[in-house]
Amino acid sequence: MSQATATATTATEPKLWGGGHSPFNVSYGKMMMWFFLLSDAFTFGALLIAYGTTRFFSAVWPDANQVFKSFPFLEGMNLPLLFVSLMTFILIMSSVTMVLAVHAGHYGDKKNVVKWLLWTIVGGICFLSCQAWEWTHLHHEGGWWGSFTADNTPLSAFQGFFDVKRDGLATVAASGMRSTHDFFNYFFTITGFHGCHVLSGVCFNIMILVNTVNGTYQRRGHYEMVEKCGLYWHFVDLVWVFVFTCFYLL
Amino acid sequence: MSHHNENSIQHLYEGDQSKLYSGVMSHHSDVESTESKTQIKRIWKVFWVLLLITLVEVVLGMFFSHEMPKVLVAFLFLALTLLKAGYIVAIFMHLGDEVKNFIVTVLIPLVLFVWFIIAFLADGGFWLHMNQSFR
Repeated sequence: MSQATATATTATEPKLWGGGHSPFNVSYGKMMMWFFLLSDAFTFGALLIAYGTTRFFSAVWPDANQVFKSFPFLEGMNLPLLFVSLMTFILIMSSVTMVLAVHAGHYGDKKNVVKWLLWTIVGGICFLSCQAWEWTHLHHEGGWWGSFTADNTPLSAFQGFFDVKRDGLATVAASGMRSTHDFFNYFFTITGFHGCHVLSGVCFNIMILVNTVNGTYQRRGHYEMVEKCGLYWHFVDLVWVFVFTCFYLL
Repeated sequence: MSHHNENSIQHLYEGDQSKLYSGVMSHHSDVESTESKTQIKRIWKVFWVLLLITLVEVVLGMFFSHEMPKVLVAFLFLALTLLKAGYIVAIFMHLGDEVKNFIVTVLIPLVLFVWFIIAFLADGGFWLHMNQSFR
């Protein structure tokens, strides 16, 4: 009797891993995109954890509200976190337009895919421009890879990066230069690596926009490529969420 | 073997597998349908949630985080960050709409981060302790 039941079950419900269909209900390309993003998450994770380790073994650390307090065209005003909030808003917004493009793709709605992809590309370029400004600004303040190593650097060169009231001037004077050096090395490496991801994401989005306009996906019968590039783009946004917390908030 | 006709090689594209999809990820025809509109509504709702969380974080970082205990600040910021990440992955990346087997396959390797973070931060803290205690 149990055998009969088993046969009946097999007939109605094919075995999940028995072949003939995708057990994950997902195409090869999309699954591989997920696994690539997983590996990329570990790369970013390793960088951020290295940053955290260095921060933990430093007696003082630059204060985000002191380092990031400038806004374009509003020089000299004390506006902590405002500019990076704008950057975060731009990236979240472009993530929304991307998911709307993917949604339009599910419905084969070519016109809307083009529209939302264009907005996503605009958002990506805005973010990159903001980052270019921030890098230039911090470079003018003396920050760069390998900066703050000269023995005769005066305290005034890096004192402004710290919350001196909280940390104490003596501690800042004793170990502030070393941690400023570490801070900028990590800042430019990690935001640079993230910026490279944004840049390549913008390139991918331009490529799929050209393909969409040319009708490539319409002929293929689906817009899965938009979905895969969408996954990549959301991942870039996801990484920024963590970079934002680690560098600007904590 | 004819490679001249586009239709004859259609099945070689990765995309043919997409016909196996079901549920949210499958292909629909009517973008004006209620189902489509519900989806779009959900996307915008998540946008507002993400914006709100970010605003809370920024206000916290600008005005309050320096007067609060460091551990509490770190806990709050990390909790809000993970919440944001969860929304992005589950809704924007549609991982929440995938098959449970696939969700688990993607998420399990991330457990390594638990060890990774604890081990390295503890090491950093110990290094500072050694450096300050024994000169």
